[in-house]
Amino acid sequence: MTHDHAHGHAAPAESEPLDEPIKAVYKHLDCLLEGINGLKKVGIRDFTVLSPIPRHEIEQEIYQGEPSPVRWFTLLGGIFGATAIFSLASLTHANWPMIIPGGKPLVSIPPFLVVTFEGTILWGSLMTLVGLLLNCRLPAFDLPKAMHDPRFTNDSFGIVLERTSGHDEAEIKQILQHSGAIEVTGGDGNGGANHG
Amino acid sequence: MSSELSYSRVNRDVMRPLFDMGMHWYGLVGLVVLGLAWGGYCWGIQLVKGLGVAGYHPPVFWGVYITTFVFWIGIGHAGTLISAILFLTRSRWRTGIYRAAEAMTIFAVMTAALFPAIHVGRAWQAYWLFPYPNQRQLWQNFKSPLMWDVFAVSTYFTVSTVFFFIGLIPDIAAVRDTTKGITGKLYTAMALGWRGTDRQWRHYMAAYGFFAALATPLVLSVHSVVSWDFAMAVTPGWHSTLFPPYFVAGAIFSGCAMVITLMLPLAKAFKLEEYIHVWHFEHLAKLCLFTGGILTYAYGTEYFIAWYSDNPYEWDVFVDRVVGKYWWVFLTMVLCNCTIPLLWWFKKIRTSMMGLFVISIIINIGMWFERFNIIASSLAHSFDPGAWVYYTPTYIEWGIMIGSFAWFFLWFLLFVKIMPSVAIAEVKETLRPPLKHEEHAAK
Repeated sequence: MTHDHAHGHAAPAESEPLDEPIKAVYKHLDCLLEGINGLKKVGIRDFTVLSPIPRHEIEQEIYQGEPSPVRWFTLLGGIFGATAIFSLASLTHANWPMIIPGGKPLVSIPPFLVVTFEGTILWGSLMTLVGLLLNCRLPAFDLPKAMHDPRFTNDSFGIVLERTSGHDEAEIKQILQHSGAIEVTGGDGNGGANHG
Repeated sequence: MSSELSYSRVNRDVMRPLFDMGMHWYGLVGLVVLGLAWGGYCWGIQLVKGLGVAGYHPPVFWGVYITTFVFWIGIGHAGTLISAILFLTRSRWRTGIYRAAEAMTIFAVMTAALFPAIHVGRAWQAYWLFPYPNQRQLWQNFKSPLMWDVFAVSTYFTVSTVFFFIGLIPDIAAVRDTTKGITGKLYTAMALGWRGTDRQWRHYMAAYGFFAALATPLVLSVHSVVSWDFAMAVTPGWHSTLFPPYFVAGAIFSGCAMVITLMLPLAKAFKLEEYIHVWHFEHLAKLCLFTGGILTYAYGTEYFIAWYSDNPYEWDVFVDRVVGKYWWVFLTMVLCNCTIPLLWWFKKIRTSMMGLFVISIIINIGMWFERFNIIASSLAHSFDPGAWVYYTPTYIEWGIMIGSFAWFFLWFLLFVKIMPSVAIAEVKETLRPPLKHEEHAAK
């Protein structure tokens, strides 16, 4: 599945998948944060927040400052790049042992550091790209339709729940509406129609 | 940014110019296609007849092509400087201009990348420049600055391009959500399914920071490596440890000037003055004053060291640059890079659109001549007086140089019509987010 689990934790066993995800649309950032808090208070952590811009408040609410694992990709890429390019340069010169005037060593660190530096940056960047794509799960063409709302790339925020997390659908919708959502839609219909 | 801007207005304003190809746009494209055709024709002649059609005269075998190569690499510095270094230093004035500056960087490096192939003459063998396995199991010499340059330029191009496209993803998603049909499908594919979920933003922001951190030393290294193409040689006028900082300062100087040259008409034509305004240009002008100051100091230091070294060959080259055959090149360089930009010390001039535009063009003329001054005058006036010559570029070389400008502008003209030239998501980040309690208080 490519959908986002806001906290990375497994959902409760009684969590029911919804045929049609519940979607709340917000015009205000503070209302969105209230909605996220409301869901967290009743123990719901399996939801996705959508936003046209990155906001530290949202990330803090959901991930509590836990750093992204992308950094490991960058580090490993950099180490690989440095090792690979330094080895390429050294093995090339060792494989073709010309007599260098002035008695300079075949494997000379200062001139090889230039290409080693470039290799570090190149592979660090390429692996950061890989880390980004893998962690964001991009390409993500199969995200639920509820997230395909053009307002989320324009001027609105959103919360989408694909599972009930063991809670009553009506209760979830009520939390979202009370937090100030301008529109709450979706669900399997057992919680009543909820247009804000 | 104006306090009246809202998220939806940013989307509307930035996307308005997209796909709306008016007569002016077609006129400009027609002009650059003509330039490109002329450049292509000249290169075609060189490919058929060989490098003899260039004005090379032993011992001068580096001329307009290498000058223009260094010029374009230099132009390519401002984009990543603005997008990466100013991102890390949290400079708010980068937001409105960094997207177009980044695009400029990529197109400038794409233009520069043509020149090694043009310069070697047999362009079909240009792949020899790259390290590749061959029959003799021999790879290129990793102790050569030319080899370092291949690594530096290709790494710079790759990293800048990735950084540029990563920055574009959320904005392409915004364009996708307003387009339909085949265009919409193309943007859907390019947006990679971006929806702005919490997971996407979290990893995106982390990755963006790492890209900026990696690109920052890269900006400073690329022109240092380019400068070593010269400084590692024992040619008088080149063999100096001053070259890396001197070249980096010059590159940022010319790159920022080019950003002004490109963005002033862009902001005006696309009515983006609310996003790109005099505040941005003033900062760019100040950056030019700072780097121009370093450059002027470097010019002076070069002369001092040449004199102080008591090396007659070194000193002779520097004297020849002022009073010799290429005096006019030296004069153009000093006037355009050290003297005229000083007018920007006056606030009235650096905040006037005409003052900004004209001086930015003058700087770029000066920076082209600076590279010509370094390359041609040193080779034409080296150790042996018997080998002193006067290298004059031919119409083929000028034609290819003009073609390179056309190639660059063609890409830029295409870019402004198919991609948002202002970073939508980042501009929104600079605005106050919509808050209900503030709206209530206002009521």
